[in-house]
Formats: sequence, structure tokens, C-alpha cells
Amino acid sequence: MAAPSAAGLGRRLRAWLPRIMPVRWSRYNPSYLEPEVKKESHQKPLEELTEEQREQMELKAVRPIKAAPPSLSSSVFSDPMISKFTNMMMKSGNKVLARSLMSQTLEAIKRKQLEKYHKAPENEKETIECNPYVIFHQALKNCQPIIGLSNITKGGKTYQVPVPLTDNRKCFLAMKWLITECRENKHRRTLMPEKLSQELLLAFNNEGPVIKRKHVLHKMAEANRAYAHFRWW
Amino acid sequence: MAAPAYPAWVTRWVSGQWRNKKRPPTLRPPRTLALADKVANRREQSTEATCITEMSVMMACWKQNDFNDTPCAEEIRMFYDCVAKAEKERKNQNEDTVSSRGNLPSSKVNKLLKRFPQITHYV
Repeated sequence: MAAPSAAGLGRRLRAWLPRIMPVRWSRYNPSYLEPEVKKESHQKPLEELTEEQREQMELKAVRPIKAAPPSLSSSVFSDPMISKFTNMMMKSGNKVLARSLMSQTLEAIKRKQLEKYHKAPENEKETIECNPYVIFHQALKNCQPIIGLSNITKGGKTYQVPVPLTDNRKCFLAMKWLITECRENKHRRTLMPEKLSQELLLAFNNEGPVIKRKHVLHKMAEANRAYAHFRWW
Repeated sequence: MAAPAYPAWVTRWVSGQWRNKKRPPTLRPPRTLALADKVANRREQSTEATCITEMSVMMACWKQNDFNDTPCAEEIRMFYDCVAKAEKERKNQNEDTVSSRGNLPSSKVNKLLKRFPQITHYV
């Protein structure tokens, strides 16, 4: 083909032919824009916007917009991390059950913290955190590993090489560890909200088995630090 | 006397090859001696591992403080900064220009050579 190297732009907005096979990714024409859900961005007056934001608004007047997925919400109570955690807890697509478990967990955290608050002496009352969302976020942040291990094969042998992780991967690992810890290492008859609230409160205080698992991973990375040069990125 | 079997040097002498100084060819090229329109595929473009110093500093801090994160917050922040910078560097790195080693990747070289092929015939 005699096309020059700048063929990317033409390739993106070429004639889009719809496919018939079912696929797992989205099949929108590349000209469709993402929906803007936050109310604040729509209520800003025109003068406050920068040049590129004004161009975005012009573009939105002419281009079609994708349908907003049901998990995207404009409510003040929606939290993307909590939604992600709920989805990871969900089994066989039972979102109703997962969501109710999540709300019961948050309620259980609030109850425990309030109990502690009312029993504490006056000077310690400010130090007790009662907001379950704050506790959830802080616990997740405490559980996130800082460095991970990846298998790299060199000369026929596979080594565990310490490797920096992306933010998404850290979040995912923290949530996965919490959920597996609650599912596997607890007594069979305890309910999930109770187990989860207990784990989250322990992680909030930097104690508990999930934090220990994170420390074990760090220790292994530290032991294998000689292999760090096997990385090529 | 059906077919007299002379030694090989007799046949050669009689045919006059020696007098014409005929020698076996000095060069027997396995392929045609001309430049091809592609280079061989080399895989050696591996770069070095980034952020090793920050990582070792952070691990030393961990060893001292029993793997707690709060005393090592500064080192961890420096490690994260280094990782973010390396990631941005990798994304911005444009493969079309010459890389840090001074070599173009072989696929790009082949594309360029294909656009300007060697003319081996007269029209």
C-alpha cells in the first residue's frame, strides 16, 4: 500500500462495518463518545471551561454518545471502589446478594465503631473513626502491596523477580486477599458481613492476616532482590 | 582396446586446460552477491531494569523497620515516583526514531527498505 506512516487517524474513522459474531468487548463505532455522569461538570458556566473543554462540548453536540452502563451512577453515595469490591464478592451474577452483603458489612463496621465510641473516655473520642467508607478505603490502602513478584524464565529456570505493580493491580490484589481470607480461613458458620467487618477493622489498624500476607510478599521480594536485574522493563 | 583408461592428468593435459591456465573458481557464493531488501530479525533490543536503586533503598529501609510502611513512607514515595517516570518514558518513547542504543528495530528497517527497493533490472 502506498499509504504513509500516518495511517492511524484514517484507520480509526474508516468505514465501520458491524460484525455478526458475538464478542466480549464493546462494539461501538469509534466516533461514539463516553457519557459524562457527574452533575458538577454539567452545571459549570461556559466561561469557567478551558479551551479543550470547550472543544469537547462542541464535539458532544455533533457526535453520538454511548449508553451509560448500569454500574455507572451519578449519585453522591456511589463509590467506584465499593462497586468493584461488590462485583468481586458476587457469585454467579447474584448482584442483589453481593450488594446487600456489602451494605450489611458497612453497617456492621459502623455499629462496632459506635460501640467503641460510646465506651471510650472523653479524650479518646476524637481518635475513633466512625465513617465506614473512610475505614474501607484506609484498610484497602493498608493492604495494598508495594512490590510484586513475577515469574521470569531465564536460561531454562524460572525465577521470582521483584517487579513494581500498577495501581489497578495493587487494588485488585488487596481486595482479592481480603475476600479469600474471609471465605477460606474463618469458621464455617460466621456470616460474610461479620467476617468482612472484622477483617476490615483489623486492616485499618495494620494488623490481621491480610497485612501479614502483604508482609510475606514483601519479605519474599526482599529475599529475591538479587534477581531484580532480570527485568527488562 | 575398447576404452583406454588414461590417468586424469593425461586427459587434462591433452585438452589444453593447463596451457590456458584454467583454474577452479576461487569463489562459489551460496547466494547471489547482491543486497537484499530486508535485514535479519534480531531480538537483542532488551533494555535494562529501571528503578533498581530506589527499590534497594526501600528494601534496606524495610529491613531496618521490620517491614512497616509508616517509617518508610519517604522511600516508598520515591520508588513510586521513579516507577511513574519510567512508565511515562516507556510510553513516550517513539520507536520510529533511533532508540537509545543507536539502532532501529529490524521490523522498522524492513518497512523502510521495502518502500525503497533495490533496482536490479533495466527497463
